[in-house]
Amino acid sequence: MSEKTKTILRQILIAIVALYIIFLVGPIAGFDVPSIAKQIQAGPNQVIQFLIVGVANGAILAIIALGYTMVYGIIELINFAHGDVYMFGVFSSLTILSLTGTLTTKDPAHLIWGILLALVGAIVFCAAVNFTIERLAYRRLRNASRLAPLISAIGMSFTLENLGLIWAQQSWLVPSFGTTGGASQKDYPDLLSRLFQGLGYNVNLLASTGWGLRFTIKDLLVIVIAGALMIGLRLFIQRTSLGKAMRATAQNRDAAKMMGIDIDRVISATFMIGGGLAGAAGLMDGLYNGTAWWFMGFRVGLFAFTAAVLGGIGNITGAMTGGFIIGILASFSDGFLDSKWTEAWIFAVLVLILTLRPTGLFGEQVGEKA
Amino acid sequence: MLKNIRLGITFGIIAGFLAFIFGGWSVAVLGVLCGVGLGMAFSSGLKRQAPLDLVRQALPTAATASFILLILSLVQNFIIAPAIGQPPASTDIVVQSNLAGVLGGLLFTLIPVYLHGLSERQERIGRLVLLAVIIVAFPFVDNFTGLYWVAQVIFALIFVILGMGLNIVVGYAGLLDLGYAAFFAIGAYTTGILDSSLHHIFLNFWLVIWIAAAMAACFGILLGAPTLRLRGDYLAIVTLGFGEIIPVVFRNLIKVTIEEPLTCWIIPGLQKLFGSASTVSCIVITKDLNLTAGEQGINPIGRPYLPGIGLFTNAHPIPWYFLVIAIILLSIFVINRLRESRLGRAWMAIREDELAASQMGIDPVRTKLLAFAMGATFSGFAGAFYGAYISGIFPDVFDFSASILILCTVILGGIGNIYGVIVGGLVLINADRLFLPALKDFLSGLLHSTILPALSNYPTAQAAVAENANPILYRYLLFGLTLVIMMAVRPEGLIPNAQRRMELHGDEGTPAEPPSVEQKPSPKAKTAGKVKK
Repeated sequence: MSEKTKTILRQILIAIVALYIIFLVGPIAGFDVPSIAKQIQAGPNQVIQFLIVGVANGAILAIIALGYTMVYGIIELINFAHGDVYMFGVFSSLTILSLTGTLTTKDPAHLIWGILLALVGAIVFCAAVNFTIERLAYRRLRNASRLAPLISAIGMSFTLENLGLIWAQQSWLVPSFGTTGGASQKDYPDLLSRLFQGLGYNVNLLASTGWGLRFTIKDLLVIVIAGALMIGLRLFIQRTSLGKAMRATAQNRDAAKMMGIDIDRVISATFMIGGGLAGAAGLMDGLYNGTAWWFMGFRVGLFAFTAAVLGGIGNITGAMTGGFIIGILASFSDGFLDSKWTEAWIFAVLVLILTLRPTGLFGEQVGEKA
Repeated sequence: MLKNIRLGITFGIIAGFLAFIFGGWSVAVLGVLCGVGLGMAFSSGLKRQAPLDLVRQALPTAATASFILLILSLVQNFIIAPAIGQPPASTDIVVQSNLAGVLGGLLFTLIPVYLHGLSERQERIGRLVLLAVIIVAFPFVDNFTGLYWVAQVIFALIFVILGMGLNIVVGYAGLLDLGYAAFFAIGAYTTGILDSSLHHIFLNFWLVIWIAAAMAACFGILLGAPTLRLRGDYLAIVTLGFGEIIPVVFRNLIKVTIEEPLTCWIIPGLQKLFGSASTVSCIVITKDLNLTAGEQGINPIGRPYLPGIGLFTNAHPIPWYFLVIAIILLSIFVINRLRESRLGRAWMAIREDELAASQMGIDPVRTKLLAFAMGATFSGFAGAFYGAYISGIFPDVFDFSASILILCTVILGGIGNIYGVIVGGLVLINADRLFLPALKDFLSGLLHSTILPALSNYPTAQAAVAENANPILYRYLLFGLTLVIMMAVRPEGLIPNAQRRMELHGDEGTPAEPPSVEQKPSPKAKTAGKVKK
């Protein structure tokens, strides 16, 4: 037996043992193969249904993951606060919708203008927040040891999270927050369905097919907008001079500086673009999933970070792909396993990728600097 | 001279401000604490001289601090307290507490200063005796004066243990662990499972605390083994992932069913596929086992028992206080010994330069694993103590914010310096548990007597002000800001460790000092390294 077959046999053995352990212990965390098989047998089109939900959520995750990956690509910092910037996107858009009276109206024109205003407002607000974070917390630590900016980022994330908690109890600002305090989940009205019902469309695009599936206008819009944002970002990075400067800075900061690129400006621009994307994702997530919660930034932020790592951090295509994969995994886990274990499964994926293949599926584009 | 007076003013204002918020007898305790701090700060920058000369020099500073404390305390007693509707204190108490505060402040400033005039050895012994007196006297004074701070101070001391454990991982070995609360949870849940009516197991607390520590250490190795090859920031994220998984697991292990998969569904499934009847019987290991009681938490948990003291109870925090002090003293001893040992020096070598250290014959993975395990051990102790002290554990306590809180105490106090971590833990957790509630009462009293009635015509604004003027809401915000500000302004912490400070400031100044003496390579280390390779 050659050395090669031996290694292959050993790997197969390890795989069998690992599978056995997963089958043995997995049911505790919802991974119960017989009951999953039964569930799929009972309704095979559930798979497609969860796939649709997963792709839509994955699109939102992908947009958030872009913010992580762009910042990492340029200054090799895990901008921990990015998830909370997205949470700010949810809350700022909800506040704008409330202030413009869009939350309660049924008038389609009012709805369209309100939502567009909220989109622009959330993008601008989150871009400004991310810009401020960089100026206050990261810029002066750029030459410090590697852990210092990470600790600062965690502190910033914690700060934003709790600002969100305080924001969520300002019922004088947004009456629909109610008097239950900042810690409870707030309702984010489903304005898109209301808008299209008001216009006389059937919300479910697949209603007439009789397949028993729901593919709503919401799903379509989220996927289309997310796709447009991703294509736009790609074009921006590849075609514009600022995009070129960003790529150059990501490759080699010192060399870029020598070529006359204003590094500070490029980094600020990166943070603002990332923040703006997070703001857009915030509005989309609010409209799609219907909740606003101060802690959502942490959870979704970690999911998005997992997506960025899965695709290879620093790699923009990777982040998008990773976002869709994580979205689909989370949706399947919610549907077939048990939603209370989803978090643990996704974090397990994160831990597994980081330990087994830290460069992700598509590889890290930045040079390895241990 | 001016600098010293300024020091006195700073300490006086801090202590006075706290006395201003707390009121009552707090002025006496704060006077003593402020005095000790001032005395040590004053003497730290001075050359050794004749003791009485030093005392003479320190007198104006001490007097300034005590005077400011007295003024602020009197303002509190006579103007603020009646204005915000606190019950007026009797004249006796006002006189006694302020007198005790001023005299305590003066005396305890001058004692460390006086000690500084003696020989180094005598000074060290003197300081230890002074600290010991304060530590021993504190709970009794607290009880006598009716402040009842001890119950909260015990929490701070639990976090001191946690901080010391995290300090091994972050400070000595330089590994950022963002999921440290997971080990705390494992320690606490081990205690909860082994000493409660949930599974009808009632082991002795003195045994359980060791099992909890061992359990936490095992998990430290288990979680560390696959991840420690990663570089710094990835390691931080992986530990964070683990730290998030563990509370989810504890929250959800309420109906644990483990069935052996081969006999339960793989073989029957195949047989069914080929059309024959099932012949194997399913082996069930556990069925619907409620392991951790989920959100309800495990409650109550057994308490420690000592002959002579009896069973520890919540009504009498003093035995708990001395127990946690004993654990801390033991930990300080162990950690200091560890730091000086081969292993401790290996941790610091890894932290400084992993590649160079591994070239010198240090096995990086093994060294890091031991750092993880040792850090987790202390966390296990703290968890066991916490479970017994609260007599109930709930999964929400151990989430991400707990990890950050512990990290915050380490960063605030000074990464890599055990005494800094102790100070950081005491300051931060007491600020959280004692100061913020007091500030809340103070503010709400103030608002109810001033601003809120003025706003009675604007009910919305009134409600908004009343709702947001609650400092407890901002507690985690303050921790987050502490991290950001410390990293920006003073990354080495309040009481820094000299080596760590140089590292954190990176290449932006501070000329390199020669490395400390303790890293002398011994001939033994060389041979050991060869053998290992």
